[in-house]
Amino acid sequence: MTLTESDAPRLKTVGLIYLREMRDQLRDRRTIFTIVILPILLYPLVGSLLLQIAQFTQQHAPRVCVIGAENLPARPALVEHAELTPRYRDAAQSIRFTWLDWEQLEDGGDDLDVPGRAERYVDSGQYDAVLLVPPDFQLHRHPDRSGQPLSRLRILTKAGADGALVAENKLRSLLGRWRDDVVADALAAQGIESNVLKPFAIETSSSHSDPGTAMLWSKLLPFVMLIWAMTGAFYPAIDLVAGEKERGTLETLLCSPALRSEIVWGKLGAVTSFSMLTALLNVASMLITSSFIFQQLNFAGGGFERPSVAALLWLLLALFPLSALFSALALAVAALARSSKEGQYYLMPLMMVTLPLVLLPMMPGMTLHLGTALIPVSGMFLLARSLVEAQYLQALLHLPLVLGVTFCCLWLATRWAQRQFEDEAVLFGDSDQWDMRSWVRHLWRDRHPVPSIAQAYACGALVLVFLFFGKMMISGLPQDTQGLAKLILLPQVGLILAPAVLMAIVLTTSLRETFRVRMPALPSLPVAVLLGFSLHPLYLSLGQWITRLYPIGEQTKAALMPFTTMLEAAPLTHLLVLMALVPAICEELVFRGFIFSGLVRGGNQMRAIIITAVFFGVSHGMLQQSISATVMGLLLGWIALRTGSVLPCFLIHCTNNALSVSLSRIQDLGWWGTQYVFVTTDDGAPGYHPLWIVMSAGVATVCLFYFYALRCNADQEAAAADWPDPHPLHARRVVSDPGLKPIA
Amino acid sequence: MIVVENLAKIYEDLKRGRFVAVEDVSFEVAPGEIFGLLGPNGAGKTTVLRILSTVLRPSSGSARIGGYDVDTDAAEVRRMIGFVSNNTALYDRMTAMETIQYFGRLHGMSGQRLADRIEALIAQLRMDEFRDLPTGKMSTGMKQKVSIARALVHDPPVLIFDEATLGLDVLVARNLLQVVRQLKEAGKCLIFSTHIMREVERLCDRIAIMHHGRILDLGTLDDLRQRHHEEDFEELFFTLLSRHEAEHDLLAEGTP
Repeated sequence: MTLTESDAPRLKTVGLIYLREMRDQLRDRRTIFTIVILPILLYPLVGSLLLQIAQFTQQHAPRVCVIGAENLPARPALVEHAELTPRYRDAAQSIRFTWLDWEQLEDGGDDLDVPGRAERYVDSGQYDAVLLVPPDFQLHRHPDRSGQPLSRLRILTKAGADGALVAENKLRSLLGRWRDDVVADALAAQGIESNVLKPFAIETSSSHSDPGTAMLWSKLLPFVMLIWAMTGAFYPAIDLVAGEKERGTLETLLCSPALRSEIVWGKLGAVTSFSMLTALLNVASMLITSSFIFQQLNFAGGGFERPSVAALLWLLLALFPLSALFSALALAVAALARSSKEGQYYLMPLMMVTLPLVLLPMMPGMTLHLGTALIPVSGMFLLARSLVEAQYLQALLHLPLVLGVTFCCLWLATRWAQRQFEDEAVLFGDSDQWDMRSWVRHLWRDRHPVPSIAQAYACGALVLVFLFFGKMMISGLPQDTQGLAKLILLPQVGLILAPAVLMAIVLTTSLRETFRVRMPALPSLPVAVLLGFSLHPLYLSLGQWITRLYPIGEQTKAALMPFTTMLEAAPLTHLLVLMALVPAICEELVFRGFIFSGLVRGGNQMRAIIITAVFFGVSHGMLQQSISATVMGLLLGWIALRTGSVLPCFLIHCTNNALSVSLSRIQDLGWWGTQYVFVTTDDGAPGYHPLWIVMSAGVATVCLFYFYALRCNADQEAAAADWPDPHPLHARRVVSDPGLKPIA
Repeated sequence: MIVVENLAKIYEDLKRGRFVAVEDVSFEVAPGEIFGLLGPNGAGKTTVLRILSTVLRPSSGSARIGGYDVDTDAAEVRRMIGFVSNNTALYDRMTAMETIQYFGRLHGMSGQRLADRIEALIAQLRMDEFRDLPTGKMSTGMKQKVSIARALVHDPPVLIFDEATLGLDVLVARNLLQVVRQLKEAGKCLIFSTHIMREVERLCDRIAIMHHGRILDLGTLDDLRQRHHEEDFEELFFTLLSRHEAEHDLLAEGTP
């Protein structure tokens, strides 16, 4: 429990716990079934089902009735003696023909004409298609003056019927081929060679020996593996944490000498093992089964190729960190649950969140490059793919980055899991029934000067949701400065600031503490402005680097164009108010104010900085902006922590934004010296001179040192004032069980 | 051996808001002594014992076991105690032997020493018949024996029993009390919490009566009887509780 218990986990204890968890899971029939038996049985069963279906479709030969075959011309012969001529037989393989005579059918005895009769055949399902060759069918008939059309063959099918489409397609290709021959004959009759019709041939081939299966494996195999690695992690994770809580065995383990970290590592190892095992067994079973099925079905021209052993080994290597990552996430989330059932509810959202990362690499055109390598899970997936495709150089180049991102995520996830195991509320939280009334009462009664952690998260989520819908509702671009003001003020004040202010009024007792409007050490204010100035070149460079990494789409650029021109035309004072002052006030109060003051409670400073920065970043909407805003958010969060106030952050934010909107104008002033400060970048945007960037980086470092040296306890004091004690203890206590039964 | 000073535990709860589970609890327990915690359900006994077993952290005050602080030296404290509670369940899919072995190994025991210790425990608790039975298939009594063996495997100087007789039939409960007495004779320091007065009367050297998170009175059985001029322990217990309840109500009325 104690945080001081930071002794390094002992490998022996971790191993002991790991082995016990493994043995326990292996003794569980359900686990064995889902992890071992199911994949082994599943694929052959699905495979045999597929084969059955395939046979069924093969056996289902379309039934076609040809009426009036006698009306077809004798040359080139399509039909002879109520049978297709050998030349066309292979085109109409598997069609079951019935040949009927037009004349005979016309004398059928009732009022129906031949097409009507044919329609009835099709409607009743007797035939999938009927081909009508009318008695006046004639090749090469010219449309005459009365508009008499060309001779036609009619194919009748029943719309929506199962076999109709197959039958129609087969008939069409058969008749098409015959028509080609008719044309060729006609040309030959006029002394023209038939190759006039086909001046050249088109052939497809690819450098790989078997393009079909290679593509299939390099995409499909990692995907299947990851999906199963995820599923394989979930169930053991739920059982090992939520299940143990439910059964009461977790407390037994917690009061043993095993450290929390040892318990987490042991359990993580077991969950990872099962995750990998599930993935491997599924992939193996799928490979074996599919190789048989593809051979049976003659897939890809019968040339089925199993992925090479090397490819499989690469996949296995990539699987390990990803399995561990999924397992750590699942373990942390499962720890939040008090029972297995609750665990299932929590893991579904986790799956939804991670699924896009698995699906992203499946999208067409996704390859491994610097940008994609930075995306967790997707990067590793793409790396594995380039290894499977034997692009070793590309893989090797990105390996350090992908590994770095993956292990960073893994580290964060395990830290999170470990924190769950150190949190009393998570481990022993009672599963009291939640009801609306007592919850509202609790919100009002137990208000504190600053918001709670949950309220901070809720505020962030609320702002993001509001911004999303706000963005959806904006139609068209503003026409004038007034419109521009509306476009900026509405989201800033209405969607970002207003919810937080409302929450602060209703849920907290002190607006000052909640928004952290405290007076910091006086020098920190000018230093913040200086930092804002000196940081701007770096911020700009970061933004440029990010757009190089993840280029802005042409469409987005075009959509932003009118907005940019409007900004350039607007008066500078308006711009400074709209783009610098207002966003700085609103965003700082909400992110470094409300959300930060809530998250920093309980002394978790890292969490406060990181989560606030992520909320801040995501609120910026566009990916490229979001990334640089997140980086900026990390710095602002750190300064907010150091100074205990929102004011320095406001100053930095304001200075930074003001410089961004006025840079080109300052450059245009043409004052002496600007040529040493500014340059114009390749895309015409203003930028800083490299020398200036280096210099200001130096100044910024000095400023950061100043903040580093600051110590501020304002947040801790606010947290300490968390327990205002309006009533004596006794009055607040609840009489739980006044009547005690005497026991004889 | 056990020194508890001004221990308090405060929760924030949805229904009750800030809830004081334990407040101003102080006591000491010496080796060779059985200390009884008596109180109705919800009196805070389990919370005190969970803090002693380092599973929960105190909100304020301190508790030391063998000189180690439960908050700062949790790992050392856990080495010194054996904790039996009806919240500490056993793994259903492990046999008695495996369970005891597992916890012995977690305590750093191995080889012959562990094997000998397990044999001794199995003999002492008369567990031979079901040593290879998965605990999921055991009766409550058998499970309780395995739990005790699990807590005793590393031969700790301090043993904590939290409502250990809950749900046991008379025969098994009697057996358990027998074991507790044997442990006392072996010089162990014992805390025994229960809401059953008879057990306390028979077993404990000193008794603390808890209600609403506070210790109402503390002393040997004779001390308590003399202090409250009441020979019948059950009467004594109820008088104490109802007097506290009355004070409590008075106080509640006094606050606006």
